Amino acid sequence: MTRGRAKWALALVFGIVLVSLPYWVRDLYQLHLASLIGAYWVLIAGLNLVVGYTGQLSIGHVGLLAVGSYCFAILAGKLGLDPQLSMAICGALGGLVGAVLGLPSLRLPGFYFAMATMAFALIVTELSLAQGDLTGGGTGLSVPGFSAPFDTPWGNYWLILAIGTLITWLTWNVARLMWGRALIAVRDSEVAAASVGVGIFRLKLTVFIFSGVTAGIGGALFASLQSYITPDTFVFEIGLFFFVCIIIGGRGTILGPFIGTVILTALPELVAPLAKFGTFFYGLTLLVVVLLIPEGFGRLVELAVARFSGEPHRSHEVRPDLVRLGAALKEREVAS
Amino acid sequence: MLTVIVSGLAIGAVYAAAALAYNVMYSTSKVLSVTTGHLCMLGGVFGAWFIAGLGLPIPVGLAGAIAVGALFGWITEIVGVRRVLARSDEHLWLLSTLALATMIQQAVGLWWGTEPKPFPRLIPQDFSAGLFDQKYWLPILVVILMAAGLELFYRLTLWGKLFQATSEDAFAARARGIPTDRVRSLSYLLSGAVGGLAGFTAGQLTFAFFALGLSLTLNGFIALAVGGLGSNLGALVGGAGLGLLSAFATYLFGGEYQQTIAVGLLMLVLLVRPEGLFGAKRVRPV
Amino acid sequence: MRALSWMRALSICALAFAATTGAGAQEPIKIGWLSSLTGPLSSAAIAENQGVQFAVDEINNAGGILGRKIELLTRDTAGEPTKAVNLAQQLAFSDKVHFIIGPVNSGESLATGPILARAGMPNIVIGAIDELIDVKKYPLAFRAINTNTQWIEGGIGYGLDVLKRRKVAVIGDTSGYGTSSAKTAGELLEKAGVKPVYTVLIDANKTDLTDEMTKARAAGADVLMPWSAATGLMARLLNTRGSMGWDVPVVGHPALMALPIKALLNKPEYWENVFAAGYTSTTYVDGKLPERTQKLVDQVKPALGGKIDFTFWWVALGYDTVKIIEHAVKTAGSTDPAKFKDVLEKTTDLPGVYATYSWSPTNHNGFPDKNIVVNSANTFKDGSYEAAPR
Repeated sequence: MTRGRAKWALALVFGIVLVSLPYWVRDLYQLHLASLIGAYWVLIAGLNLVVGYTGQLSIGHVGLLAVGSYCFAILAGKLGLDPQLSMAICGALGGLVGAVLGLPSLRLPGFYFAMATMAFALIVTELSLAQGDLTGGGTGLSVPGFSAPFDTPWGNYWLILAIGTLITWLTWNVARLMWGRALIAVRDSEVAAASVGVGIFRLKLTVFIFSGVTAGIGGALFASLQSYITPDTFVFEIGLFFFVCIIIGGRGTILGPFIGTVILTALPELVAPLAKFGTFFYGLTLLVVVLLIPEGFGRLVELAVARFSGEPHRSHEVRPDLVRLGAALKEREVAS
Repeated sequence: MLTVIVSGLAIGAVYAAAALAYNVMYSTSKVLSVTTGHLCMLGGVFGAWFIAGLGLPIPVGLAGAIAVGALFGWITEIVGVRRVLARSDEHLWLLSTLALATMIQQAVGLWWGTEPKPFPRLIPQDFSAGLFDQKYWLPILVVILMAAGLELFYRLTLWGKLFQATSEDAFAARARGIPTDRVRSLSYLLSGAVGGLAGFTAGQLTFAFFALGLSLTLNGFIALAVGGLGSNLGALVGGAGLGLLSAFATYLFGGEYQQTIAVGLLMLVLLVRPEGLFGAKRVRPV
Repeated sequence: MRALSWMRALSICALAFAATTGAGAQEPIKIGWLSSLTGPLSSAAIAENQGVQFAVDEINNAGGILGRKIELLTRDTAGEPTKAVNLAQQLAFSDKVHFIIGPVNSGESLATGPILARAGMPNIVIGAIDELIDVKKYPLAFRAINTNTQWIEGGIGYGLDVLKRRKVAVIGDTSGYGTSSAKTAGELLEKAGVKPVYTVLIDANKTDLTDEMTKARAAGADVLMPWSAATGLMARLLNTRGSMGWDVPVVGHPALMALPIKALLNKPEYWENVFAAGYTSTTYVDGKLPERTQKLVDQVKPALGGKIDFTFWWVALGYDTVKIIEHAVKTAGSTDPAKFKDVLEKTTDLPGVYATYSWSPTNHNGFPDKNIVVNSANTFKDGSYEAAPR
């Protein structure tokens, strides 16, 4: 089987495993965990384009998650709109807020931008606490689930799976085609990219708005899983968590951050006794990865695979065709 | 009204100190470390631990707090900056210092506890002194002295000139025989000492609290951006301005919009004058 | 021949099956305990944990409940609602516990309530915010701690009726608990016919409270009512009051009498004229504690190193939550959730250490109003307090 076909087969198997997950998973808790990973992934897939591909270090994306969650809670909960429609509106609102945040901030150099996004996350928490009439203030809001057929745990999971697949396909296309190369060019050297004619600011803003849309949708999914949100839910450490997922997974790939998300979400659940070391562990992992393997674990996997699969090109052994050579030499002798 | 001004200036002094620390770090490495606010926090926490916890005399506690700040500044350089600067990727130092800052905050939280703990009285003074209470004028005085000291350091001493040389052109400096790595380490040590001292003097104002780090990093950065990167006077002005603005905003509108207003100031200044009030426009060859 | 061996095989299987179900009756009773052992407000959770562990050990040493041992599964939520939700699901679906105690923080409890209700899991609630209990929405949730309203009413009663003040300044913090408490306090005051002269929400880490206190004084307040669980904020409040030389009484949240405040105060006198909502179970009357409290204190003291330097009602509360479960299971004869609900709804005057509990089909808040008392804040001794002068 060629490598292309092998990849397709692997993707198909993976797809079947994911779709059938509610059947082979042990209990509702693991299904909930899988749904949570899916909701996070919807946000991280968009954020991946911003952080992993364009190199804009947004550490405060939890603010956009909060915007999406509160929007969903208010529209679907308080106002009673159709949940699926509310989710779409949340995505739009997320994109709008992303634009408002990105317009002034994206022009700033790296550290300034990171601080601006961090400040944004803190502002969102502050406003959600202060605007009590809208957001329920400190008490928070209760969040309804989706309407049938998505109101059961496995229905909810399939909804998340469908949306996650759609977003992943979108980002994969962006990454694969010229856009993706433009993004990586901007990340690695803005000056060189500009000199080749890449419209830097517009590119950054478009990608940032897209990440806002995915964050809004992810927020809606996340809120319905939580079933109750308060300003305390959106601590700054969650923004850090998203960021670390992408970095340790590997910038510039789609699969890497996905693996990073799965690992970082599932790990605290497995090592529950070490809960208090959780954020310390994120920091340590980030430090280790940045210092030792800046390309992330995705790259490590690639290297390991390459090491084991051997040389892709075998050098051609040259064997002289002695019969033909002998005949040619004889001809020359005869001719001369 | 007067209390608003004085308390605003006092907390503004801490922000200015963080901005000074940023400046010192930036002056040799062109790196802005996320750990800056945490260095101030460490000064306060360790000062409280040395004096109140271990019972050491106050001058020893002071020296200890400065030493701890310097130590963590040095660790920032070795772990977060040195290896990373060698690579071409501009943003890696942000990641590594962010990681280090997270680790420091969590470790202190686990060791010291998550509640603010009391900071001991440094100079015997009655508590009804009101506006002249040392928790206000100690940070203000110390930070002004530090800024003056740094300016003198840069202008009059040889090491100050070495700092400036390293920041302007590291290759040329190395060609002249300046050990740039050691100069950089020294600058981080110095910025850690600045942060530690500031945290120590402000301890009575902020209490010894582990979560101060992130807030100081952000606010110190706003003070820096407003005042201008690279300018110590700008750091003082930016810090004072931010402190006063926060205090007045809280007084007039209640404490609910504190963060929003502070960031509003930042955005305004960055849009109108991106290099800050006293900063120099950065020109780089392309 | 074949038929005989078949029958023999079947009877052996039947016996084995009976034996296992018989052994099944000895399977332990699993109690899940969601505690925020790290993170903010961990001191309360750690003390409550002591009480829970002690009760479980005591019951197991006496043979368990109905001959079954208790297996306690403790999970640290670190004060984060997302973790609380995940761990609640884990306990309910993976570990399949029979009962869940907690979470400790109201913010986490707000998030886990609907989830545990959907899972049909009996839940002993120890958060104070009023919204945590709803007979229709959370039919299997029963509260052991008092409600926030009971605390605030106790404080208001003291301020208005005993101290005879009418000009109240309400102070909350900007956390979830603080904002909702300040709102509730305002509403209850208006019901009592008093409008607060000054209301403010202060960030718990704000370093200087002179502005707010000056404004309160300027508004003519003659009693301060702070409702915040943040000891740092309370200490700064008292320090500012002291350095202003303002002799106004302070009546508020139990955090006012927490021992850590002592170290945070600039002068010990600043703790005078301060009163806080407390409990009859941890109040000295003529120098003596109620019998049940004293008994628990004596039993627990050696395990805690011979002295008690934290608020004792946390331990008593933790202890009682397990005893409530014991009572329910013993009376119902099983761990069935429907029977659990039935038994507790018919329970009146169940004697605990922390309080005497009564629930009903329309009210799942078990703490009686009369068990609230107001204490003088600076009278801490071995975890309990003196009653405030009347």
